[in-house]
Amino acid sequence: MANLEALLHGFTIALSLQHILLMLIGVLLGIVVGVLPGLGAPNGVSLLLPLTFGMEPVSAIILLSSMYWGALFGGSVTSILFNIPGEPSSVATTFDGYPMARDGRPTTALATAFSSAAFGALAGVVLITFSASWVAQVALEFGPAEYFAVYLLAFASFVGMGGAPAFKTLVSLAIGFATAAIGIDTVSGSVRLTMGIDELVKGVSFVVAVMGLFGIGELMVAVEEEIHVKGINSKIEWREVFRTLARMPRYGWALVRSAIVGCWMGITPGGPTAASFMSYGLAKRLSPRHANFGKGEVEGIIAPEAADHSAGTSALLPMLSLGIPGSATAAVMMGGLMIWGLNPGPMLFIEQKDFVWGLIASMYLGNIVAVVLVLLTVPIFAALMRIPFYIIAPLIVVICTVGAYSVSNSYLDVLLMMGFGALGYLFKKLGYPIAPLVLAIVIGDKAEDAFRQAMLMSRGSLGVFFGNTLVTSLVLAAAALLVLPVIIRLLSHLSRGRHARTGIKDDLRFE
Amino acid sequence: MISRRATELATAALTGAFGAAVVVSSLDNGISWSTDGVGAGTFPFITGLLILGGSLVNLAFGWAEERSILLDATRLVRLARLFVPAAVFVAAIPLIGMYVASALYVWSAVSVQGRRPHAQGVALAVLFLAFLYLVFERIFQVDLPRGLLGMALGF
Repeated sequence: MANLEALLHGFTIALSLQHILLMLIGVLLGIVVGVLPGLGAPNGVSLLLPLTFGMEPVSAIILLSSMYWGALFGGSVTSILFNIPGEPSSVATTFDGYPMARDGRPTTALATAFSSAAFGALAGVVLITFSASWVAQVALEFGPAEYFAVYLLAFASFVGMGGAPAFKTLVSLAIGFATAAIGIDTVSGSVRLTMGIDELVKGVSFVVAVMGLFGIGELMVAVEEEIHVKGINSKIEWREVFRTLARMPRYGWALVRSAIVGCWMGITPGGPTAASFMSYGLAKRLSPRHANFGKGEVEGIIAPEAADHSAGTSALLPMLSLGIPGSATAAVMMGGLMIWGLNPGPMLFIEQKDFVWGLIASMYLGNIVAVVLVLLTVPIFAALMRIPFYIIAPLIVVICTVGAYSVSNSYLDVLLMMGFGALGYLFKKLGYPIAPLVLAIVIGDKAEDAFRQAMLMSRGSLGVFFGNTLVTSLVLAAAALLVLPVIIRLLSHLSRGRHARTGIKDDLRFE
Repeated sequence: MISRRATELATAALTGAFGAAVVVSSLDNGISWSTDGVGAGTFPFITGLLILGGSLVNLAFGWAEERSILLDATRLVRLARLFVPAAVFVAAIPLIGMYVASALYVWSAVSVQGRRPHAQGVALAVLFLAFLYLVFERIFQVDLPRGLLGMALGF
């Protein structure tokens, strides 16, 4: 009950005129970046981040998270109308969304997607409302060893479950760690990894890295692949919207199942993209109408959309209560939290009650605002797709440049940002995952501190990681996640002779 | 034309070199591990080794890669059309400042690369400058660099 009281208090914060206005702005900007291919939620949130430095933390997080919801919805619009996923996590929506829209039912496809997405988001927020403070309470008992074990678990699940080649993930992750270590060491005060460049003493801000990786890097991919728009009629028929809504309860089980998949993948750092593919694969296998998948099947839209949004939402749970972001976007937001002077993790629930519950309340409101706005604005944003890239591209480059510069008024940051951009492009082309890199930059220092504190307490003995049941099981779970993909691959090799290929594994390879 | 194999190899070499640099550089900080705790260089040293090791594996995988084409000439041109002006823009900032560089960049992208009428390019550039000035200089009070040109003119 305490949670509900806190939530009500949160609503009193979120329901101010200023915050509603920020929600509207955030959602609209989010839809813009979601609709534009090559720009996604992590890009949008990174681009907006420098503008929030002077804001109140609650207002800033409401703006950023609303942008996230908007981007998630916007990504679905282009997937369905143009067969172009505006977001990596809405790739699976194109499989059935576009065929349905092409067959003359764009309104049905959009309404199905939005209502499943709203359901998924709601599932994620409810999960956060009721379990976040509990998780935080458990986490308050954590010592440095437990913390390091949780970080280890997060990193291991990236390598093991991310879907990208394990060694590429490892390299990406480790580069993130090394980048985080650049500058003054917080424990000993010594200067590390500056490679002779004095200005690097201040370290590499993660904002600079994400601007380059997500802003410039993805822009280069989008420009190089020159996306062509073959639009379908994007008019919304309101009567069909309500008819679709009335049909949704029929797919109750598919909705619930997809939301569960999404919440799980959101809390563990699998992220929305993996969640949507996994959910689509499951639906395809379990549905009696599986032959219809790929031709405009309703369940084929419900499954990825509900999972995508529940994963996107629940990715904020570990960020708030443990200080470990569950997705790339959550990692960017967490970096924001640290810049605004907050300390993500269990203490937030004690020291920053207004912030936490204001955010959670705004998540309910923000998603409602997002559904309404996205339905109202589909035709406008569909037209946005026709703005040629040679106009959008320089604007993005300038915004990234100004953004990187404004972090600490340094030209070196601009150069670093461009470097990260080139790296991001290379990584993207070659299938190196970028999310682990960002995650490691954001929480690398914390992970290292936890490790060194644990070592100080144990006087240098690694035995501290097997000191009690909790920490032992966390470490073992991390180890299991690392070897799991190897075992699965072996098993599937063995069974491949007998069975036809399984749907899920194939779909996950899209990562 | 650029093959996937060459790109894989180059990227692995790049990350490997970075890993090696991290390893060498962290040796300076001391990689001790004693009862007094873990030295400042230890953690970076381990991450450096991970980068180096992972890059070597990727290098080996890259070596075995078939010679498929990653980027053909048209794609390379498209990429250059984005990256070259962007790099020139960034290089010009210390000379002519952020405002002038941005304006020239937006105008040239729209009017020269996009072959739109000059009026359109200029209008967009001016609009964008106003946006930059209002949002950064006014609302968020970030002084954008004026460059040598700005200094010479006394801004």
